[in-house]
Formats: sequence, C-alpha cells, structure tokens
Amino acid sequence: MLSMFVLWLIVFAGIARKWKWTPGLAVLTLVWTLVILRLHMTDPIPLNF
Amino acid sequence: MSDTQILSDKQTLTIARLINIAALFALLGVLAGSLDLQFGAGELPCPLCLVQRSAMIGLAVGPAMNLLWGMKARHYALSILAALVGGAGSARQILLHIATPGDPGFGPAVLGFHLYTWAFITFVIAVAGCAVLLMWNRPFDLGDRGVLGQRHWHRSLTLFITIWGLLWLLADLLVIGISVIPQCGLGMCPDDPPPGADLGDILGWALVLGLGVVAAVIAYFVERRMSDTSQDNERDPITQ
Repeated sequence: MLSMFVLWLIVFAGIARKWKWTPGLAVLTLVWTLVILRLHMTDPIPLNF
Repeated sequence: MSDTQILSDKQTLTIARLINIAALFALLGVLAGSLDLQFGAGELPCPLCLVQRSAMIGLAVGPAMNLLWGMKARHYALSILAALVGGAGSARQILLHIATPGDPGFGPAVLGFHLYTWAFITFVIAVAGCAVLLMWNRPFDLGDRGVLGQRHWHRSLTLFITIWGLLWLLADLLVIGISVIPQCGLGMCPDDPPPGADLGDILGWALVLGLGVVAAVIAYFVERRMSDTSQDNERDPITQ
C-alpha cells in the first residue's frame, strides 16, 4: 500500500518540475489505487438486500 | 473585455485561482482530520481508509496543476477520476458495514457519520464542483500559464499560498507514507488494524497543525527566493 503514496510523491514532484508525463502518471496511480481496492474486496456483499 | 462580460480577464483568473486554492486547503483540512484521528486518538487507518486517503490526495492534483501549470479542463478531469476511485472505496466500505446486521461501523462517528461516509460525501461534492467549474469556460480561454507565469500585484501572495498548500500536502503525504511502513510493511495492510499510539487530542492537533506551520515557513523562503530570481531575470537584458 506504500506504493500508492510513493507514486503520489513522484506525481507531485512532476507537478512542481512541470514534467509532461505527470498527468499520465497520475492516471496510472489512480488505476493502481483501484487495483489495491479490488485486492481488498475479499468479503462478498449481497446486493439484493 | 467585451461589453457583455461582467468580469475582466484578471478578475476571472483571480476568482478561478481562489476557488482552486480553497479546494486545496479544504482537502488539507480533510487529511488533517484523518491524521489527527490516527495520531491523536490512536485510530490506525484500515486498508480501505488508505485507499480513500490516496484518492483524496489525487483530488488535489487538479487544483495543484491549475495553480502551477495554468487553468485547463483536463486538470479538473483528473480530480473527477480521483473522486470516482475514492467514491468506489468509500461506497465499498459503507456497503460492507450496512450489509452486516448489528455492525457498529469502523472507527468513531463525527457529527453522526463515520469517516468513510464523510469521505463519500466529499468525493460526490468534488465531482459536482468540478462539473460546475467545467461549465465556466472563460478561465480556460485566457492562455493562463500558472502563478509563476503571471506578473500582477498579488503574485507574491498567490505564489506563497500555493507553495504553502503544496508543501503542507507533501508533508501530509510523507507522514502518511512513513506511518504505513510499520503498520503494513511493503505489502498489503491487515484488514482490522490494532489500536496505535495515542498522543491525545491536543498533541495530535499540534502535530497536524505544526506540519502546516513548518510548511508556511519554508514556503515563505521559497517564495522570496523565487521572487528574487524573477527580478534578477527582469534586470538581465539577455533574458528579455
């Protein structure tokens, strides 16, 4: 989970340095956050309640 | 400025920047509240809480880019994407606790709602706010190059507040990242974290607000240095 925050650190360094690939890395970090969320979805939730 | 426009270009840009600064500091407030709960009350964040924190930091990317790079629609789009990811995490956590009968929820309630419910409300407001700002086209048509690329009387103040907000966010990000290591190592965090060290409410807030004070002091010196460099460049005929 540390990786999410390390990626955000690089994103904000990119914003400060005006690196062109920063928006792409921000999207990638969000996708990675979503992957981690999916990995933690271990308990089923009944959606017919 | 055409006759039909109520605001001048400068006023439009100033208002757009103020909105982005307000959004940045609102997010800092949310992160400060969660850090106070972690260090002041000893409530270590659960994995889903960390996912929401990550998305909350992602929300700040839009305002940060708007302030430093200039107003662009795609910067708001990044914040909307972050809000959708965070909304998914908080909705998942809300449903988990609703689906289990008799579940009191995770962590303490603030003003009647648990933090993940507040996070969900924040993400929904962020999407709505970005949508409203995307309907306001004018700031995107002004060729804005960010607070560093403009020369006006309040440049120093805007630059200082922007640097302050970003440094404070960076400090929060470092504290969150470092505190994850003893809790989770380099892998995934345990589903139900044990209680952490409890500094007490006053020390917890002192730590959280202390980060803001340190960020403000560093921002002051960074802004002074940037202003001096900018003035030197103006005097230097080669850079004209």
